[in-house]
Amino acid sequence: MTIATGKAEARRRLQPAGSSLLRKIWEHRADYAYVLPAIAVMLIVIAYPIYYTIELSFFNTPPGLQLRDKIFVGFNNYTAILTSGVFWQVTFNTLIWTIASTFFSFVLGFGAALALHRDFIGRGILRAILIIPWVISAVAASYIWKWIYHSDFGIIGAVLVELGWASRPPNFIDSVSTVLPSLIVVNIWREFPFAMIMMTAGLQTVPEQLLRAAKVDGASAWQRFWHVTFPHLRNVSTVTILLLAVANFNSFIIPWIMTGGGPSNASHIWITHIYELAFGRQRWGVASAYSVLLFIILMTLGYFYVRALSGNERKDGSA
Amino acid sequence: MRRITVGGAVLRGAVSTALTISLMSAPALAAPPVDLSKWSPEYVRSIAGTQDFDTAGDCAKVTPLDYKGRLTFWYQGVFEGDPDLLRQYYKDFFETFRKTYPNIQLEEEALTYNDLLDKFRTALLGNAAPMAVRLQILGGTEFASKGYLQPLKPEDVGYSTEDFWPGAMKAVTWDGVTYGIPTNNETMAFIWNADIFKRAGLDPDKAPATWDDVVKYSKQIHDKLGIAGYGLVARKNAGNTPYRFMPQLWAYGGGVFDEAAANPTYKDIELNSPQSKAALQASYDMYVRDKSVPVSALTNQQADNQPLFLAGQLGMMISHPSDYNVMLDLQKKATGTDKDKAQTVIDNMRYGLIPTGPDGKRAVVFGGSNIHILKPEYVEGGKVDEPAAKAIICMWTSPEWSLKMAYAGSNPGNLNGFKTKWMKERLDSIKFLDVTTSMLPYGIPFPALPQSPEIMNIIVPDMMQNALTGAMTVDQAADDAAKKVKDLMGGGL
Repeated sequence: MTIATGKAEARRRLQPAGSSLLRKIWEHRADYAYVLPAIAVMLIVIAYPIYYTIELSFFNTPPGLQLRDKIFVGFNNYTAILTSGVFWQVTFNTLIWTIASTFFSFVLGFGAALALHRDFIGRGILRAILIIPWVISAVAASYIWKWIYHSDFGIIGAVLVELGWASRPPNFIDSVSTVLPSLIVVNIWREFPFAMIMMTAGLQTVPEQLLRAAKVDGASAWQRFWHVTFPHLRNVSTVTILLLAVANFNSFIIPWIMTGGGPSNASHIWITHIYELAFGRQRWGVASAYSVLLFIILMTLGYFYVRALSGNERKDGSA
Repeated sequence: MRRITVGGAVLRGAVSTALTISLMSAPALAAPPVDLSKWSPEYVRSIAGTQDFDTAGDCAKVTPLDYKGRLTFWYQGVFEGDPDLLRQYYKDFFETFRKTYPNIQLEEEALTYNDLLDKFRTALLGNAAPMAVRLQILGGTEFASKGYLQPLKPEDVGYSTEDFWPGAMKAVTWDGVTYGIPTNNETMAFIWNADIFKRAGLDPDKAPATWDDVVKYSKQIHDKLGIAGYGLVARKNAGNTPYRFMPQLWAYGGGVFDEAAANPTYKDIELNSPQSKAALQASYDMYVRDKSVPVSALTNQQADNQPLFLAGQLGMMISHPSDYNVMLDLQKKATGTDKDKAQTVIDNMRYGLIPTGPDGKRAVVFGGSNIHILKPEYVEGGKVDEPAAKAIICMWTSPEWSLKMAYAGSNPGNLNGFKTKWMKERLDSIKFLDVTTSMLPYGIPFPALPQSPEIMNIIVPDMMQNALTGAMTVDQAADDAAKKVKDLMGGGL
């Protein structure tokens, strides 16, 4: 942090804005030098691909031509996307997938965190067990769930038939109406431990003195939660929800491995659709246009994430 | 279902005959090493073990055995659904190559069928491809048309074009130039469980003669025994789906274009013709109307059907030549009563020709793989060691290794492979090999177009899924697919 003297402040006011900016940069040259390697790497592995994706989104890339022979089509890719029926189906799926997965993962994770915040025998073991879905490979989990759901020989179907609750195994992932909810269940199962960990960390920051004081003042358990605990968790909740939302928007492994986006596009979400367009159909241009649109959405979410973080810092008085 | 007219039947019969003749003969070419016009299980047996070949000696004429070089090579290798026997032969091949060419530094990488195209396409975009690649039959045209491949014909590695199936050579030819050499070619056959047939009141030793019979048999098996009759497969982005649906489509007289004709032009789209719709209707009838096939067909691959068949839960399916060996491997891995059950199924396995369409037309996908050399500018490091690449290609496509590498799952791309002693050995040891080999003359290659991978792996399965899930009617699904093909061929977005 720099401390401006009265003279320096007077000089700063007299100098034009551009010069002031350059001077500030110069004054912070050591800071910039420290972050330069990271910026250089980001420019290579992030900025250039983003630029190239944006460029590619204005070209047609037919399967019979090399990418270097691409044909400029202006905004046609964007027009084609926005007027295609599949786009709206995939967007609807993505919204359902993201909202449902985020909401239920958070609620379940928060509930688990509250339950595990109390001191009881076996709490450590239970916490470790609940983290398992998050730490195992998403690919392995997808294959396991595929067999659990299998429409002919799945474990769930076999149990239901054995108990006489169903005459034949339910159709989880081979039906257009049930496939997306079935995949969302798998996603929630995998993600709620993340929310649990975040909220557990948040709960540990709630001052015990405040809770005890509230208790002494006669506040009920609900009142203590609502008026003391929850306000302290607002920021960590916001960050957790935003991180979950971004991760869910970017989901790929579970829907791709379990259904490949099918049947009949019913479980295609943006990322799986983009992957199929690019690698299955070689529509690099259209896939890039999709990616640009997704990028804009994710950057918007990212903006709110940064704002939420900044809010945290301001409240902590650290910035 | 559509009624087939006599005129149509005659026309299709003529086309079918012309097609068979075209596949069985190599017009305007020197005589092939085997007489394709006599092709039959008996003929195949009669030529097996009649000639010896000196692989190292032949390849030394192409690339000297002491040649020093380096080669990067990707290939579609064995995967979880392949028999152990094939795994061993792949291991043996690379060991033998290293012994034969000790000074060639070989860096090989095996990829599965479903991953290879994606990874190869991505590598090409970054000019990071291997020097040589072995691709599925569907892929060669796409990369040749884009200019990634070097011209390469059998003569370049010491063989003759007539040494290979004419249908296979079509799949490596683009714009009149040959860009690769077939390593292996196979056709599938029909497999059924005789015990299930018997218990369902069907003749246990008689395969369904037509696809309409398949629909009827499947329903009868399901209604009587409560298990799936036919092993339908309709997953997207998996090679299994077109390999199992296209024979049905062609048998009904349909097609994506006119690929089933003797001299296809690929001009007219026939995916929504009445014949194509009849084929799709047959799948719809089994899945939706009769519910006589696995419900999981929309997410299943053939590898998912194999355990179902072995567990006695599936009556019949289109079978890869390797399926018999796969069943033996799976049976060995089973324990307790499952092992006995599996053995019962293996004892009751029967093989037959793939059923015909209503007018007697029989068809199957002419499958296999080809091997190619890349142009230097698309290869990592910008250099291709051609002698090294030709050395491995010469070995793989030799009569000996094209047979051994296809021992349990395919057939030698080099027709001379049928004359080797290993062919005789496999005829004696692999049950039903003669039946799958007998399907070869009915083989139809996928359209030799760069758009074929998208059509076969995405548009056709999408059409099936749209119809089978009820998202569209059969007519709408076929029309939608035809429109997608039209847009694709028109260079649309």
